[in-house]
Amino acid sequence: MTTAGVWHPVALSASIEPGSSAGTHIDGKEFVVWRDNSGAPHMWEDRCPHRGMKLSFGFVRGDHIACLYHGWQYDTAGQCRYIPAHPELDVPGSIRVPVFQTVEVAGMIWVATEPTESAPPAPQETGETVSVRSVFFGAAIDAVLAAIETTPPRPFSGEAAASVLRQIDGRLYALTVGSDTLLLGLHSLSGERTALHVVIAGPAARYSGKGQAHFLAWTAELRHRIETQPAAAVAA
Amino acid sequence: MAGIVLYNYELDENCYKVRLALSMLGLKWEPIAVNAFPGNEQTTPPFLAMNPLGTLPILKDGDLTLFGAEAILAHLARSNDPTDKWLPAEGADFAGVMQWLVFSAGALAVAGEARRSSLFDTPGDGEALQASAGKLLRIMDDHMIARGYEGLDWFAAGHPTIADIALFPAFALSRDFGIDHDEYAGLRRWGRRVRSLPGFVTMPGIPDYY
Ligand code: FES
Repeated sequence: MTTAGVWHPVALSASIEPGSSAGTHIDGKEFVVWRDNSGAPHMWEDRCPHRGMKLSFGFVRGDHIACLYHGWQYDTAGQCRYIPAHPELDVPGSIRVPVFQTVEVAGMIWVATEPTESAPPAPQETGETVSVRSVFFGAAIDAVLAAIETTPPRPFSGEAAASVLRQIDGRLYALTVGSDTLLLGLHSLSGERTALHVVIAGPAARYSGKGQAHFLAWTAELRHRIETQPAAAVAA
Repeated sequence: MAGIVLYNYELDENCYKVRLALSMLGLKWEPIAVNAFPGNEQTTPPFLAMNPLGTLPILKDGDLTLFGAEAILAHLARSNDPTDKWLPAEGADFAGVMQWLVFSAGALAVAGEARRSSLFDTPGDGEALQASAGKLLRIMDDHMIARGYEGLDWFAAGHPTIADIALFPAFALSRDFGIDHDEYAGLRRWGRRVRSLPGFVTMPGIPDYY
């Protein structure tokens, strides 16, 4: 079963700390990704029902998000629970932010943009992952995939080796070089902007520190290539 | 006038660097409000006599008159922080602080230009300024992501320094010039740590969360 078009990677798990939020886009639509203080991830429409301001500008308090503008607070179900200007009010159930299903797989937060029974992507390489980074490109997903194939990383350990890029499921890819495997989440911010979420499949004992830095340098090289070469040359 | 006096404009990000440092160092000081907008008072002769560049901030500390936010931070730290944490005395920590102070006062000034162009409609190509500022924030983000691999939370040392103070406003105020924090995970993480430092203060454009 393919998950394309339904499940999207929106952030590295490590990039959304408990009690924090960040704005993001999927295909041009605005969302807020946040983690409550207990560590559970959430993704909502980035729009406060009060006056439509961005909830990602607000802040997380325990298991609520408070809007920056007039302090309306929403619980983890997106239900408004508190309106500071009317502290006694029993807030009507209709004041609610649309929320989306999230899971954490492969060191990334995945979101279903519509209600679905379909399972989120399941990498065969389950087990420990070590995050590298999310990197952003002014290019569509296809151009980014093409650039990854023409500018692969060198293995962290061992001799230079050919790389193999393989689609695991939907937006999740595995890139193997030598004995190293990266898991890549491709995230379409809009038709011309893509985020690439990069983690190493493997134990922290082996990769943390120098291994992370090795693949960070690759993301910078990839970004440089996409930014300095005309799209046609990258795709060729 | 004895003591520390800051010629200050509330909306100026360079004045904010100094206000942050004064507050984090726990110093007593006195502001003198300058009508920078729309008055441009800092470019009139009495101010040019103190700073021929016609910019803010200007600091007086006893007999000393100083301009340039980064130089002022260095002076405040060196003369008021006996632990030498805010401005390490030597080695890689000192070198790192210098590198990022120069970055802040030099290349990163474009973020201030982008902000002024969008808030006050000063001359300049707003879009080009925004793009250059975005690239500089990206350099900072790349650096903080790499620091994270070493378990380090701060730009130049294992603890906060005046480099963190100097760099904070450009990131914290980036929405003023149309750059959101979405794509800067390393800076979001660092920014939250800066906000939790004792003595942290905000300015207009930086929300006071608590
Ligand atoms: S817009 Fe969110 S509380 Fe008013």
